[in-house]
Amino acid sequence: MSEPMTAAAPSQDAVDKSASDVIVETRNLAKIYRDFWGRQKVNALKALDLEVKQGEVFGLLGPNGSGKSTTIKLLLGLLFPTSGQALVFGKDASDVAKNERIGYLPEESYLYKFLSASETLDFYGRLFDMPADIRRDRVNELISMVGLDWAKRRQLKEYSKGMTRRIGLAQALINDPDLILLDEPTTGLDPIGTREMKDLIIRLRDQGKTVLMCSHLLADVQDVCDRIAILHQGELKELGRVDSLLKVQNVTQMQAQGLSQEAEEEIRAVVAKHGGELLSMENPTTTLEELFLNIVMDSEARPGRRARGDS
Amino acid sequence: MTLEQAIPNFSDWIGEALFYLPLFIVFFATTGFVIGYLVSAIRRGPVEGFYAVAQVIGSAVFDLANTSVRRTLAMAMLAVQESIRRKVLIAFAVFIVVLLFAGWYLDVKSDNPGRLYLSFVLTSSNYLVLILALFLSTFSLPADIKNRTIYTIVTKPVRGTEIVLGRIIGFMTVGTAILVAMCLVSYLFVVRGLSHEHQVDGQIQTTLTDLAPDGLLQGVTTYDAHHRHTITMYDDGTGETDVVMGHHHSVKKVGGDYKIGPPQGGLAARVVRRGDLRFKDRSGNPGSGVNVGHEWAYRSYIEGGTLAAAVWTFDGMTAGKYPEGFNLELNLRVFRTHKGNIEKGIRGSITIRNPKAGAAILSSEPISFSATEFAIDRQFIPRQLKAIDSDGTVSDVDLFKDLTDGGKLEVWIQCSERGQYYGMAEPDVYVLENDGNFAINFIKGFVGIWLQMLMVTTFGVGFSTFLSGPVGMLATLSTIVVGLFRKFIVDLVTGVLEGGGPMEALIRTITQANLTVDLDIGTYPTAVVKFIDGVFLTGLNLITISLPDYAGFSMTEFVATGFNIEPSLLVIHILRALTYFVFVTLIGYFFLKTREVAA
Repeated sequence: MSEPMTAAAPSQDAVDKSASDVIVETRNLAKIYRDFWGRQKVNALKALDLEVKQGEVFGLLGPNGSGKSTTIKLLLGLLFPTSGQALVFGKDASDVAKNERIGYLPEESYLYKFLSASETLDFYGRLFDMPADIRRDRVNELISMVGLDWAKRRQLKEYSKGMTRRIGLAQALINDPDLILLDEPTTGLDPIGTREMKDLIIRLRDQGKTVLMCSHLLADVQDVCDRIAILHQGELKELGRVDSLLKVQNVTQMQAQGLSQEAEEEIRAVVAKHGGELLSMENPTTTLEELFLNIVMDSEARPGRRARGDS
Repeated sequence: MTLEQAIPNFSDWIGEALFYLPLFIVFFATTGFVIGYLVSAIRRGPVEGFYAVAQVIGSAVFDLANTSVRRTLAMAMLAVQESIRRKVLIAFAVFIVVLLFAGWYLDVKSDNPGRLYLSFVLTSSNYLVLILALFLSTFSLPADIKNRTIYTIVTKPVRGTEIVLGRIIGFMTVGTAILVAMCLVSYLFVVRGLSHEHQVDGQIQTTLTDLAPDGLLQGVTTYDAHHRHTITMYDDGTGETDVVMGHHHSVKKVGGDYKIGPPQGGLAARVVRRGDLRFKDRSGNPGSGVNVGHEWAYRSYIEGGTLAAAVWTFDGMTAGKYPEGFNLELNLRVFRTHKGNIEKGIRGSITIRNPKAGAAILSSEPISFSATEFAIDRQFIPRQLKAIDSDGTVSDVDLFKDLTDGGKLEVWIQCSERGQYYGMAEPDVYVLENDGNFAINFIKGFVGIWLQMLMVTTFGVGFSTFLSGPVGMLATLSTIVVGLFRKFIVDLVTGVLEGGGPMEALIRTITQANLTVDLDIGTYPTAVVKFIDGVFLTGLNLITISLPDYAGFSMTEFVATGFNIEPSLLVIHILRALTYFVFVTLIGYFFLKTREVAA
């Protein structure tokens, strides 16, 4: 995990071309948590319609309790939907066979602390029915990739949080999955670890993998996601490409080079004629943080407004 | 010293089992479907509920077909590693400590130290292993769910069957390793604990007895290990001691010295041929024996000096098997209505009879014997016997030619003394075939413990698929308690034990009414109480007969009393255990499959 981050997103064409296959789909997906007597406790997710296409990095955003983790758990079959459907690779989320092509990094690394890093990865490799020789190579490769060669024989209980997170990531990749679900992937990582995690996500996308991540660390999402969905109180509030969502449509920013004094004066005159002041000529972007806070505030001011799932 | 438990006949058992098993499967499947549908219909509505149940059943078939050995073994290995981490080997350490201190508590002066040692090691191993299995199996899966480590398992292509089976196999692997170690240590403990040496104390000299008017070369051994023996030497230079504390020694004259061998017979595994028992009453008509008032009605009694008899029918009695005749071992209880000579046994007779009606020779002459209590009488029945024909003429007959019918013969036992009774149950009289290998029998005893461990582990893992650790442990413990007290519960339900159900017992406690008197609370209240108790007891009975009979699985008594555990009995236990294993594993799978692990 030492390569520099290649933050540049693939071109729009490339995304459109590779995004023809739907990998994850939710249809009117809803989840109500009930108590033992069947009484409603929390309406965690309300009629979510989503599509994640092959080769994209999709971010689920939302404040705590917005339904992000519930969505991921429903997609993994860890929870059963109250209504609606969650499909992964076209199969129902309760179908165990879909897990062959999935890698999952939970919110915290729920691993067996009494195993060493090698034993952990070997164990998860066995769960994919991998033959011993392939498993051995894959374990060594992943341990090197997450930079834990020096500690591979130590029990996980001796690991720091960051190290555990890395081995958690390695277990999510043991089967070379086509779809990787990352629940708060940068939690517990130091700035270098966070950077390496983001590099890895981009590398995975470059390899044609689909990544679905949920996070409330907006900068991380902004750096790596192609598309995002913003959830609030179980409802989908915004959905779209990160670059278009962050574009401030009512501001034009212009920057130019090699213009003559006259030309500049001309442009300034035009701008002045329209009562403006030229800074540079382009559409600036806001920060995701700002967008996110606006949506949350808007959602609280006007509850019930939903984004459409086909953006 | 004999086995006091009925031994099921394999052919009868398997016939019944094959009849009831399909019925049970149908009942089990129907009940599961109905309960599943009802729960699903309440949650999703009648139509969607039906589809949900159908989907679960469909995916169950798929999951079973796609259960992978590698994944199952991976789960098993995880369970082993987890057990070791949880310092499960402490159980073995406890066992060693128990053995080290056992010498303080075991009565070394017991009449039969072999039985005592064997009962002790088998019972202590049994309870320790069951407790171990209980804790291991019930806390593991709930801990995984609580710690959410299960998330990383169920998001892999792991089937519920693999999770449940893997856990059972893993815990059984650990338990088996510990049990094997316990078995080895126990064996050494028993063999070394009973091992001792005697020397000849004084001189071997000729003594005259009633039985040997010409005199016998006799002497005594030194007093070692809290006992001494009387030595009897024969003309050929060999000899033996009498049986004391359940064993004897062989003696050999080497030069001018007498060498006393190691103890023999204390650790036995007698292979026996058992017969079917029926009774004749005091008039010689078919009957059921007399209950002399003992609470435990295991043995029935026959009255002395009458035509009452206990008749055992043995099959497979051929000259090829017993060319010289056969050894009959008897362990009869005696009930005295008058004291008589307390030093002497109660006299009786053994008659060998041809079961074929109208046979030329019906019966041998009665062979007299004297029943000693709490010890096994061994009577050798020679091949050449005297018989009385219908004319009253005494003639020599061949046991197998003249007194058997297709390998069947009858042994009639009668008590000769008026006013005294013999008590017996079917396992009390048998033909001794040979002495089996004690070590193998000892291992078979541990197989019985292993099967109990399998039951506890299976139930523990099964309960842990839907209950929290402590609740699962209590539920599993309940199955053990019910299993161990199965007979008591069945007796309570069937009315053998008086006192009624909980309502009646409560009323009797409050009113201080004796168990044997009728409830005196009026006709209708009594009917209501009986009805409520009836419902409770029927439910209890259903639960009891559905759960494993742990006491029945234990074969400690066989090993301790020196009887070979018959292969058919072992097979019955194994088949029973496997049936529970399959059904409980399936139930556990369905619970896990339909459980939201992240809820």
